Amino acid sequence: MIAPIIELREISKQFPGVRALDRVSFAVREGEVHALLGENGAGKSTLIKILTGAYQPDSGEILLRGRPIRIPDTRHGLALGIAAIYQELSLYPDLTVAENIFMGHQPGARWRVDWRRMEEQARAILQELDAGDLDVTQPVRGLSVGNQQRIEIAKALSQNARILIMDEPTAALTKHDVDRLFEIVRRLRERGVAIIYISHRLEEVFLLADRVTVLRDGQVVGETMEVSKTNQAELIRMMVGRTLDTLYPKEDVQAGDVVLDVRNLCYGRTTRNVSFTLRRGEIVGLAGLVGAGRSELAQVLFGITPAESGEIRIEGRAVRINNPRDAMALGIAYVPEDRKNQGLLVQMNVRENATLAVLRQLLRRGFVDYDAERRLTQEYVDLLRIRTPSLSQRVGNLSGGNQQKVVVAKWLASKPRVLILDEPTRGIDVGAKAEIHRLMSALAQQGLGILMISSELPEILGMSDRVLVMRQGEIVAELDRAHATQEAVIAAAMGADDLRSEPLPA
Amino acid sequence: MTETTIAAPERSRRANLLRTQEGVLFVVLVAIIIGLSLLSDRFLTVNNLLNQTRLFTETALLALPMTLIIISGGIDLSVGSMLAWSAVMLGFSWQLVGLPLPLAVLICLLTGLLGGVINGLLIAYVRVPPLIATLATLAIYRGFSFGISQARSARGFPEEFAFWGQGQVGPFPTQFVILVVLIVIAHLVLSRTGFGRWVYAIGNNEVAARYSGIPVERVKFTLYAASGLMAGLAAFIFTSRVTTTRADAATGLELDVIAAVVLGGTSIFGGSGSIIGTVLGLLIITLLRNGLLLTGVKGDATFMVIGLVLILAVLINNLVRRR
Repeated sequence: MIAPIIELREISKQFPGVRALDRVSFAVREGEVHALLGENGAGKSTLIKILTGAYQPDSGEILLRGRPIRIPDTRHGLALGIAAIYQELSLYPDLTVAENIFMGHQPGARWRVDWRRMEEQARAILQELDAGDLDVTQPVRGLSVGNQQRIEIAKALSQNARILIMDEPTAALTKHDVDRLFEIVRRLRERGVAIIYISHRLEEVFLLADRVTVLRDGQVVGETMEVSKTNQAELIRMMVGRTLDTLYPKEDVQAGDVVLDVRNLCYGRTTRNVSFTLRRGEIVGLAGLVGAGRSELAQVLFGITPAESGEIRIEGRAVRINNPRDAMALGIAYVPEDRKNQGLLVQMNVRENATLAVLRQLLRRGFVDYDAERRLTQEYVDLLRIRTPSLSQRVGNLSGGNQQKVVVAKWLASKPRVLILDEPTRGIDVGAKAEIHRLMSALAQQGLGILMISSELPEILGMSDRVLVMRQGEIVAELDRAHATQEAVIAAAMGADDLRSEPLPA
Repeated sequence: MTETTIAAPERSRRANLLRTQEGVLFVVLVAIIIGLSLLSDRFLTVNNLLNQTRLFTETALLALPMTLIIISGGIDLSVGSMLAWSAVMLGFSWQLVGLPLPLAVLICLLTGLLGGVINGLLIAYVRVPPLIATLATLAIYRGFSFGISQARSARGFPEEFAFWGQGQVGPFPTQFVILVVLIVIAHLVLSRTGFGRWVYAIGNNEVAARYSGIPVERVKFTLYAASGLMAGLAAFIFTSRVTTTRADAATGLELDVIAAVVLGGTSIFGGSGSIIGTVLGLLIITLLRNGLLLTGVKGDATFMVIGLVLILAVLINNLVRRR
């Protein structure tokens, strides 16, 4: 048995009303990638915060190279060689690459910074990360997410991090950047860095990790395992505590009449001559690379950026959509991509969020009818199985999956004919994901037309009756369920020629 | 977490009264009243307290729409200038133009409304940040006041005009009755209507509010217009109380108004707050000022005490919320 570099023993942490961690023991070795899995709310974030020193455990001990230590704050954590890279990057956009890397520990004497040395060292570190092409004197603003992440990693390395925690590092990355990230992680592993890797994407665990630990409800499930001795189904079962029959419970539906008919829609450079139809009962997947114009198309349809030209027909009738209110009046609902910034009022409660889009219907002479509001909210809390202690719980206190369900509830309450879902399951755990998929399938069966934007190919392929592929603002391919394969979608999204599907049977 | 999908009944708010900003403020207010009544026997008398309401009505009237504006994530710095401009227009159109007094009062109200409408247009539709837009109109409206009045003050209003600022309805000062009615209306609008919900939603997350079909521009416009109209009303009552209109009236009043709102627990970043809090904030500031005066504390010391109370209230609030 190799001695671990860091070990947690019987760590517990209590928050008001929640036991976030319950006697968790967990050890990481030098030169391994250790995957940490669990649904949202399982205790992963708390565990990380205890490791970095942001939280103090209520009981239990932390051993670094076999010696018990205390990490009173993150500064100490860094000094001990423990660094974390979070999903949300925390760089200073107006400072240069080098300044960001050495923020807080600039080389030089007390009162002056040795700029030359700082830049040289920054270059050297980036070189090691195979990112030597980055200009260290350029400001961070405008760099791609992938590059920003490399800077975060460089920042950790510049402080001689021996234990690197990566929290959902691939959530916002393009495929290409993901590959580069994996390369970097492998390189760091060879150098003996211990990496704690958190991800919702199980494929990544099998590609990258050596060992895996699963958390559920604040406890370690079973014990740490070699990745080679387990499989996806087992890990999912451990995470959710039950067997999921399937992640993509798509039912076959006889598509009905055309509900949404879009012709030659244009907006700026992001929506170019887009034409497609959506039928009742149909789930149409909208695939493409990040930046292909999918969310932008949704925003044109929802009236956030009204179309400059082209035609939109709802149930055969030509309509104009100039703002979200127009879209809502026509029965279009849009669950946006960015839950926190576009979907939720995080400081307000479940009831206030769930009824926001239909508040007008709950008014009696301008006054909110609270009974009706409560009834309506309860109906959707039940329907979507939103797990919340009460209807007056602040939405910000719910887990990611339940927050997403609240946004979906808001839009289902408006009884739409067309539901646009933009990355409906991004960043939520497997259990909630399967529930949202099941719901989509059921809604389609009831005759709703669903347009689903997703960057996850399995989701697109698993849930769609038809797949539209966008590239540079245009729809470049339309594939029916039978012809939609991973290869065909990727080829169209990346612009490989001659892969347009044969015309669809009407 | 278990499979509880049935939501528990909503928890009673009363149980946590002391955990709310309003609860804390109420305790502070009671403490101040007890303290001051021990220090001065002239403080806790019906006469003194009712008299105080005359002095704070104008601030209070402006604080009502200001509460909604700050909750929506904005601010209106021009209220003092709008008041002065409206008051000057009242005096000008009555004394210099020779219009009948009721018409002059109408012009006073409309002037306030116009000021608010201009603010609303700038902020909601031209999208000038509220701080900058109303900082600009603070100067512009004050400029109007001086320009129109030419440093002359109107005076000599007829006796019946004094009813609004000096008269009584039963045992209560006239303006106190008006104020109470408006407080109730503002409270109901903010806490019970769809419009009030929209105000909170916009202050919480303007993008999400827009994505949910809330007419963000219209709501904002209405708020600033209402603030202007209220400044017109305050100008009318103010003129009736002091029986003169001067271009430098209500200079710096916006600071008192904002202090009361913020002391009342409304987040300066928007999204939370209440009319009840604002009223408590107003009472605390007014009673402190009056009580300290009665106990012989000098005016400059009073300012410092109020500043300290403001900081203390925010500190207490933070402590309460952290628990």
